[in-house]
Amino acid sequence: MKRLIGLLVISVMSLLLFACGNDTTQTTTAIQTNTTTATQTNLTTAQTTSTNVTTTLNIESQIYKLLIEAEELSGMTDWNGLLISVGQDLNLPTSYKGVTITYSSREPSIVSNDGIVTLPDECWIESREQDGVTPIPNLNDNWPVVVDVLMTYLGHERTAKLMFIIAPEAGFTCDKYKG
Amino acid sequence: MKKILVFGLLLIIGFMQNGIVNVHASSSDIIYTDEDYARLHTVIEHVENILKYGHAYNTDTNLLPDAINTLTGEPAKWVFPNRAEVAYSDVANQQNFYRTLVALSTVTGDDKYTNEAKAILGEFMMNYQNVNGLMYWGGHRTIDLDTLTVQSTESENGPHELKNMLPYYELMLEVNEEATLQFIRQLWTAHFRWGTADLNRHGSYSSAADVNVFGQPMIDDIIVMDELGLPIIPSNSPGDLPFVNAATDLAYAAFTLADYTGDPAPQAWAEYLMRQYHLASNPVTGMTVYQYKSTQISKSPSECADPTYTNSGCGDRVARQFRDFGAIARESNVEWKNTQAIYVDNILMLLEAADKYGIDYYVDWARGYLEGYLDYTYIRIDGKNMVIPMFNDGTVTYGYIVPEAGYYGPSNMRLGYVEMPTTYLLPILRTILATDLEEDQVKLWTYFREIVDTFGIGDVGPLGGMSPDLNLDTAIDDPFALMAMVELYNATLNPQYLEVARTIGNNIVNEKFYRGFFVESEIMLYSRLDQPDTLALLILDGVIRGIDTADMPYYLADSGYIHGYLLANDGVTEDRGYTQTYIYTKTIYDWE
Repeated sequence: MKRLIGLLVISVMSLLLFACGNDTTQTTTAIQTNTTTATQTNLTTAQTTSTNVTTTLNIESQIYKLLIEAEELSGMTDWNGLLISVGQDLNLPTSYKGVTITYSSREPSIVSNDGIVTLPDECWIESREQDGVTPIPNLNDNWPVVVDVLMTYLGHERTAKLMFIIAPEAGFTCDKYKG
Repeated sequence: MKKILVFGLLLIIGFMQNGIVNVHASSSDIIYTDEDYARLHTVIEHVENILKYGHAYNTDTNLLPDAINTLTGEPAKWVFPNRAEVAYSDVANQQNFYRTLVALSTVTGDDKYTNEAKAILGEFMMNYQNVNGLMYWGGHRTIDLDTLTVQSTESENGPHELKNMLPYYELMLEVNEEATLQFIRQLWTAHFRWGTADLNRHGSYSSAADVNVFGQPMIDDIIVMDELGLPIIPSNSPGDLPFVNAATDLAYAAFTLADYTGDPAPQAWAEYLMRQYHLASNPVTGMTVYQYKSTQISKSPSECADPTYTNSGCGDRVARQFRDFGAIARESNVEWKNTQAIYVDNILMLLEAADKYGIDYYVDWARGYLEGYLDYTYIRIDGKNMVIPMFNDGTVTYGYIVPEAGYYGPSNMRLGYVEMPTTYLLPILRTILATDLEEDQVKLWTYFREIVDTFGIGDVGPLGGMSPDLNLDTAIDDPFALMAMVELYNATLNPQYLEVARTIGNNIVNEKFYRGFFVESEIMLYSRLDQPDTLALLILDGVIRGIDTADMPYYLADSGYIHGYLLANDGVTEDRGYTQTYIYTKTIYDWE
């Protein structure tokens, strides 16, 4: 009992010192075994309530870092900013060390939510001279496509955005002047 | 024994369940260290040098120059096209210095600094107020420190212009109540058209004073929706450009007036004005606007044939230069330029109005604008916080190659990402702190957490910020990051925020304090009075001493500038430019 009280006092003191507070973590359930070693280190089974508190915070912090790692190392950003001129499957990663990764394209007919690129049959923007008549060919043919990314892990979320530049297919049209 | 255990557990759970609570240290038990004193000492040295060299230039006046040459101690000078050099004092551009002076008196207990600020403002308001009430200050008027006469930098009769300068009205009212109230009333008379809600950033010094100011009948909202529920932006403004940066100053002044006098009319008009921007916002994306009207075309087609002639009489300048995009291409809808005015300066004013004057719904507006903006535009690229350029309906303009020159840049310019500055930290954090419900804080907190981390400050942790994992050795040397950490400390009392704030403060001193002055970096020539670094350092110092931040001057903006005609850097040609691009970019190597 003395050890339990001592542990409790230390926990309270550390909470006062470091003002631990609100935490949105839903669970102290052990993270799946395919997480990083660092994460696993912090998943020691909780022995007391106070230890649970500390562990919960550690878990939250580790999950946060894991989600950052997923964004940076999963390969999702490999195509970012590159000109894509061939219809193809970008093979966007859908998981990373237990993190689920989903995509939502703002131009799904060009880049699907599964990362399949279909080259458009028309240009992005038709540009014309000031007279509004004379075309300026090939100035703004390539489409910027934003894809919103959602990474989730045990109820924790992180968002990101990707930017793909997609060229229209050969023989595309460009006759949709809006000016 | 069990009771003790239960009590202890309840205490722990209590800590765990708190969201963001605004608790303020009533008295400080923080140890004031040598490093803390060293930081304060640099601020004192900077202030003393500004006062010493500033006053030495002309001992017949209390007025100070806007900036001081850190090699010579001389004032910065505006060089007119005729080569006349004018040492300028623009009181609108020195607001953060007055706040610094008052803050320095607060932390040191020495009234001399506040008295300096009062002496400057007193002399200025006594001698440099037009008979109609407008002050000779702002974007196009300044005081010549040699002759102590008014100078215009925009032809002979430059207009009155304030853009996000947000004067230190509390102190002005203390110094000269009548002059301050007269100014605020004339600010509206000169800039706002009561019958049409046209607003011009320029106000005439010839405008007559209106005894019935704010007594005009309230008009209907001029923004109405189309059949799709989208706002119709009128194109009938007679040469006026209702920029939000000018409106922010008008609204702030009117809120101050209403609060000070108890007259509700100025507040009603300020709310009317801000509502036009809100109504003009995109209801789907939440992104808001830079202006709620476009200008009427008053120039002939031949006059406007040259795309580099960007006079607003040729109509909406985005509609001209970005016409390829169709109807969405309007100045009001641009989300890659002037966004600091929209999402930082205006939101800080809205939150101030919510806090001080009880206009609670501004917090919801601020949250909606920021969430929409971040949802659609915020992207991390190569470890940096960036913004995707787009119109406010979400139409992406990234990668667009501009066919011809215009107001927004040269021909063949390719639109790329825009770097998100650290100034965004404050409106995001203050919006979170002003939001009541925890569930409404979640989205902005998530963005805030990511943005802070990407700036290299570390992890503020889950919602509430009570368990951060900050980078106590961060290299960031930024006053906005510093103020954000101080405000988080105030909200949580978690000492990590104070420690990282101290680190940032030390970085600011190490990277920006040279030759006895705060400068942008070691090689920069001029020390600007309006820089926010010293105020941020004093706010930190006050918190360490246990001074409630409510008792300290508050940071709102640092947008002071002068705009007009000057001699180009080639020393021969005439140009039209800003102090920020012509003068404050000079380095010590430019000085001979």
